[in-house]
Amino acid sequence: MSIADWTVAPVGRATNYVLETVGGASMILWRIMRALVPPRFDGHETWRQLDRVGVRSAPIVIVTALFVGAIMVIQTAFYVNKTGATSLLGYGVGFTVFAEIGPILIGLMFSGRVGANNTAELGTMVVTEQVDALRALAIDPMRYLVVPRFIAMMLMLTLLMVLGDLFAIIGAAATAQGLIGLDWRVLIANLIESHLLDELTMGIVKAACFGVSISCISCYFGLSVSGGAAGVGRATNNSVVANATAIFLIDFLVGWLYTL
Amino acid sequence: MTDLSHRVRLRCEGLSVDYRGRAVLDAVDVEIRANEVVGIVGPGGAGKSILLKTLPRLIVPTRGRVILDGTDLATLPRVGLAAARESFGYLFQNYALFDFMTVLDNVAFPLRQGGQCDDAEAIRRAEARLADVGLARAAPQFPRELSGGMKKRVALARATVADPQIALYDDPSAGLDPVTSSRIFKLIRQMHERIPDCASVIVSHDIDRMRPVCDRFIAIVDGRVAFDGREADLGRAPPTVRAIFEGGLVAGVAL
Amino acid sequence: MALHALNTTHRASGNILASLGRPFLSAGRFLSELGRLFRDTAVAIARGRFSGAAVIKQAYEIGNRSVPFIAITLGVLGLISVYQVATQVAQIIPDFSMIGAAFIQMMVREFAPTITGLMVATRVGSGIAAEIGSMVVTEQVDALRMCNADPVEYLVAPRTIASAVMVVMLTAVGVVFATFAGMLVGKGAFGIPYNTFLSLQLTGIGDVAIGVTKALSYGIAIPVIASQAGLATTGGSAGVGWAATSAVVNTSFAVIVIDFVISALAFLVH
Repeated sequence: MSIADWTVAPVGRATNYVLETVGGASMILWRIMRALVPPRFDGHETWRQLDRVGVRSAPIVIVTALFVGAIMVIQTAFYVNKTGATSLLGYGVGFTVFAEIGPILIGLMFSGRVGANNTAELGTMVVTEQVDALRALAIDPMRYLVVPRFIAMMLMLTLLMVLGDLFAIIGAAATAQGLIGLDWRVLIANLIESHLLDELTMGIVKAACFGVSISCISCYFGLSVSGGAAGVGRATNNSVVANATAIFLIDFLVGWLYTL
Repeated sequence: MTDLSHRVRLRCEGLSVDYRGRAVLDAVDVEIRANEVVGIVGPGGAGKSILLKTLPRLIVPTRGRVILDGTDLATLPRVGLAAARESFGYLFQNYALFDFMTVLDNVAFPLRQGGQCDDAEAIRRAEARLADVGLARAAPQFPRELSGGMKKRVALARATVADPQIALYDDPSAGLDPVTSSRIFKLIRQMHERIPDCASVIVSHDIDRMRPVCDRFIAIVDGRVAFDGREADLGRAPPTVRAIFEGGLVAGVAL
Repeated sequence: MALHALNTTHRASGNILASLGRPFLSAGRFLSELGRLFRDTAVAIARGRFSGAAVIKQAYEIGNRSVPFIAITLGVLGLISVYQVATQVAQIIPDFSMIGAAFIQMMVREFAPTITGLMVATRVGSGIAAEIGSMVVTEQVDALRMCNADPVEYLVAPRTIASAVMVVMLTAVGVVFATFAGMLVGKGAFGIPYNTFLSLQLTGIGDVAIGVTKALSYGIAIPVIASQAGLATTGGSAGVGWAATSAVVNTSFAVIVIDFVISALAFLVH
């Protein structure tokens, strides 16, 4: 083995992998866009996906949000106690939850719950030749499988983000009252006074972008599965890793664009 | 040789297995004796593989008992069960070869885990068994590099390398071409005769190849024992069972 | 007729109770099985019944191969955090001197362990579940049992030991990358000198202890929960996919709950 084999080659392989993934997911996005204008997708499937994606992930998002709010109160309280600026607690919690931590953690949870499940489902359909069967019946898998999931994920993650923000505040207020000893009404008042509308909308925009990336990436990995049960497992694994990376990168991008 | 002169190694009493509210096996009573090869036949999905898996307690029965050499397997603690399993050899339907180790390591694995012999001896015996199945050259390869028939033979080697007292074979010729299938059944008979007092149980659809190898047949239909005896006694069996042996599996069996 | 109506109402209320209680029952059953696996794993490790070679192999899989992923995600996190906070601070009081110190402290005690934990839960959690799940589906786990190899000793214990050590090390790696990225952004966008940013002034031994405790807890919880999902796989390729999914969800959720518990305890102790 030459030096190039274990220095350049892995970098080359990694680059290839990244480019393949980005390219593949972008191709899916392009084809989704084409199927949306003019709208050519299965409405019934879309309703079904809205129910599955939204209703099934609501509980985990709510509980996650409660804990996220609680954790942020504890961490912010630490600084607030040291500096004595208790009025900043509401602001600190609101800012971090709405703008950064909330979208990232809820995005990650959604990617795990819905994205992984999506890849697994589509992957299993590929491995059991159901996708081929659809094509044989002259049904376009894009219209029937992918676009409904795209719409469902984008819409639902945005709505769930709002729901998550609400429950994060509840969790924060409960923790403030119970653990810190700060009246929850004071916290809420602080929050409202902090005028965090920009941060709120940024979080929701991030959620919509995550919905796009999660659906495209998970569909890409699901539809390109090969190798039976082990292949489905591997694809699910790769899908969540790619989604997590994308979430962080998009988070940075949106945050940076907002400051312009 | 009459069956009655042979010691009973394994006995199932009233064995029942429920899956999702449905009785997959219902009140099964069978005996497996030393020095005999038993073939288990029946329509697909009737519970044959599940019966095979309850014998070493890979599946826990809902009701009933499995008794190995006089000991009820349910009464054994985990360590005792592990020791009891060392008497078994199992050929899985989908080979179940460990894909993260070489063929040689796969075959040597039961010996290394069992601890009855040292590493050098384990490798020697594994190589010998691989040679018996005609795959000595495949020793350093990985399972994914082998064809279906070759993997089946490696699985057979692994199942028999520890000279098990009770050898269980789940559909040994599934998915194999006719030549390889015959070879597998011949190997099964060879292994059986090589180990003294061995009891072998074969689950299969391949009646024609089972005939020269099996001493006795058990037919499982709808989770129940429909026939238990030698092929010569088939005259007294219900028509569904006779249809299985005549190859007309669909005729007469309500689907 | 009236009797029939009575019967149906009784059955209906019984059904409502059943459907309300069922999630709690299944959650209870899930937690008790998980508890049993934790106990069995602890026993296997305490008795030394695991292969050192397997631990090293898993350590490489879990640790070395996650470094690029951790580097990117925590690097970006460092970028984002410093950028956002500095922008805010610039509007209120343009004094950047404490940003670096506060940033490093928050990284060490909260964000590095937790985000690293979530990333490991994502990558390693689904990986372990998928691996073990496909072994279950191809009957390799049954084959292990038949060859006198206990799946907990052979599969779960090495991964748990490797993960406990590696998550702590990955967290340290994460802190380094996040700080490095934050430092670059601080200098590049806000002119904060490197020395000012790299201040360990606020980071005390308590913060390090909290960070390490969190990382260690995540490192132990993730492989066990993921192995549980893998070992409980049923049903072919669909089952393997589902095992990987539930592993990611359960391990991520466990990380968040553990984070909350340790943070709360740390706060109360102070």
